[in-house]
Amino acid sequence: MASLDPRIRRAEPALWNVELPPLLPLDQWQTYEVFVVRTRGSHAQHVGSLHAPDPELALVLAKEQYARRSTCVALWVVPTDAIHRTASEEEDLFQPATDKSYREPQGYLTTRERLEKYRHRLQSC
Amino acid sequence: MLETLEILLLSLADDDLILGHRHAEWIGLGPILEEDIAFASIGQDEIGHAQAYYQLLTDLGLPTPDEYAFKRPAERFRCAHLVELPNTDYDYAQALMRHFLYDAAEQVRLQALRQSRYEPLAGLAERLLREEKYHWLHARTWVEKLGHSTEEAYLRLKSAYHLLWPYAWLLFEELPQEAAMVEAGWLPPNAELRSRWLELITPILAGIGFEVGPPASEVLLPLQGARHGLRSPHFEALLAEMTEVSASEPEAEW
Amino acid sequence: MYGNLVLRPDEIPNWGKKIEEEDPEKLAEFEARIARGEKIEPWDWMPFEYRRQLIRMIEQHAHSEIIGALPEGTWITRAPNFRRKLALMAKVQDEVGHAQLLYSAAETLGKSREAMINDLLSGKSKYSNIFNYPAKTWADTAIIAWLVDAGAIINQTTNSKGSYGPYVRALERICWEESFHLKYGYDSVVYLATGTPKQRAMLQDALNRWWRPIMHFFGPPDTQSVHTEKLVRWKVKLATNDEMRQQFLDMYVPKIWELGLTIPDPILHKDPETGRWVYSDPNWEEFWQVINGKGPCNAERLAVRRFAEANGRWVREALKSPQARYVMPLA
Ligand SMILES: [Fe+2]
Ligand SMILES: [Fe+2]
Ligand SMILES: [Fe+2]
Repeated sequence: MASLDPRIRRAEPALWNVELPPLLPLDQWQTYEVFVVRTRGSHAQHVGSLHAPDPELALVLAKEQYARRSTCVALWVVPTDAIHRTASEEEDLFQPATDKSYREPQGYLTTRERLEKYRHRLQSC
Repeated sequence: MLETLEILLLSLADDDLILGHRHAEWIGLGPILEEDIAFASIGQDEIGHAQAYYQLLTDLGLPTPDEYAFKRPAERFRCAHLVELPNTDYDYAQALMRHFLYDAAEQVRLQALRQSRYEPLAGLAERLLREEKYHWLHARTWVEKLGHSTEEAYLRLKSAYHLLWPYAWLLFEELPQEAAMVEAGWLPPNAELRSRWLELITPILAGIGFEVGPPASEVLLPLQGARHGLRSPHFEALLAEMTEVSASEPEAEW
Repeated sequence: MYGNLVLRPDEIPNWGKKIEEEDPEKLAEFEARIARGEKIEPWDWMPFEYRRQLIRMIEQHAHSEIIGALPEGTWITRAPNFRRKLALMAKVQDEVGHAQLLYSAAETLGKSREAMINDLLSGKSKYSNIFNYPAKTWADTAIIAWLVDAGAIINQTTNSKGSYGPYVRALERICWEESFHLKYGYDSVVYLATGTPKQRAMLQDALNRWWRPIMHFFGPPDTQSVHTEKLVRWKVKLATNDEMRQQFLDMYVPKIWELGLTIPDPILHKDPETGRWVYSDPNWEEFWQVINGKGPCNAERLAVRRFAEANGRWVREALKSPQARYVMPLA
């Protein structure tokens, strides 16, 4: 049956006689992780990955896959295998074992109370 | 003068319209998904640019963009034959080389039109250049990368280049009434635009080992006349396809 | 703790393990995480069965997007005006983009894009049946963009509440883009429905031809599909086929009727007692035929994909970097 698709019809009959051995590893190139800087002054944010043969083309291709609608001011690409990360079994590294409120502003909510108590004591003397 | 302006704007618009359609044939058939997406954007942009050029005429009381694009008889089109050529065998080297030669021409053309004394056109050129920056980056990156890669890629690009070169040269064929346009300060002569275009592409093409020079006149002669309304043999079928739906119920809105 | 902890499929220690062979402690931890509503990320331990099911599901979804670009892609050159043409181009481009995002999400689980493409082309992995039907007229594109994409949104919104991080993130973006497709599709349908008699007839004809594939879209009825309690617990499967089909009917049948169109199913109605839609048997035999390769367009769709891959091979070969090594992407 001839295709209903005129642009596909233009590829016939070659279309039906294509020999394609299975794709080998890396046929689709290596991957890059894509980061978008949304506005000046903001951090780059990881938005996904793509296949590209080198960083220049990775950027050219990332532009349309990751920034064709959203406005942004810059893109970064990093080869996936250049990313270093902590292991997921190490997630507890980030959980403090003791109260660390002394190094946070919220750790100092009772200062005023202390002062009020003192003033109260002075008054009642 | 309106007629002269129409000639100029139609030649710009029709180039974009038809090439946009040719690019669009690649959606879903590109060499890798990521490139499929990128090239689809470029095709979309070109069709959007065509619409914007037609709109300048509409603003003067002439037909609407849809009427220009989908209701005009073939002989009233003014596009270059370069954009009409079919995607033979879906050879991506041809698609990229045409995109490269064309978008280099657009760079030169639009840079010049920014200074146009026809102000609506100057303003539009300024805006279109924003998207054209990406077209040019995309085209140049691909051609340079592939030009310096494998023997096969080099040979494919080279034969695409040989096929397309005379057609690309004729992107800058003199327009009917060009003298009046130049006189009015709408654009520089096409001969001058062509030399700026050569300046832009020669280092890149020479860098990958392609010779750049004027095609022989016996090659050019039979290919001339596009801007005067002479269509290539490929045009009719494409126009029939483009208008198949709209012509099936001419008064309908879609 | 510092290291270039990239992921390679051959380094996944429990690859190929049956669920009963998995480390019970890790499995319990994994299930507790999902129960708490946390996401699973590519670098987390996960039972192989979870990986396998997700790969199968996301891969099929990715194939459906790239194949789904073909029936509509055919109409871009013929689209009747600028507005529709540009929107259709953007929509079909989005579908290719969805395939890109989904292949990447599946890759994070350890199957390369090459392996997925090979399985698509050999017929080993499936894609949505609906794309094996032809788009015969312009009205078909309107029906596809409205109703098929509506079905896709229901399916994808459901899945976006799943447990696997990369898939969920891809789906969030995809759903946003699909909602543009839906609006575009509905707008096109409304123009045809309110247009000339010829346009209306064209639309009704398209609806007649697409209704059955749309009923098939959510998969076989629950009575015929294998339920696995495990996949529900793992938040891989979030709604049954019938639940999604009912949701679709609830949302779209009234909208179709509002346009004065006739749905080609004389018994279709909502049972006031059960609150569920009752419909004729949409011929599940046909569904199985098409999924096994005997639909009207299966051969062409795969031939086109094969052609595209073969045709682009020299481009990919030309720029292959000898230093590249395969690692699984992170998102
Ligand atoms: Fe351009
Ligand atoms: Fe999609
Ligand atoms: Fe969609």
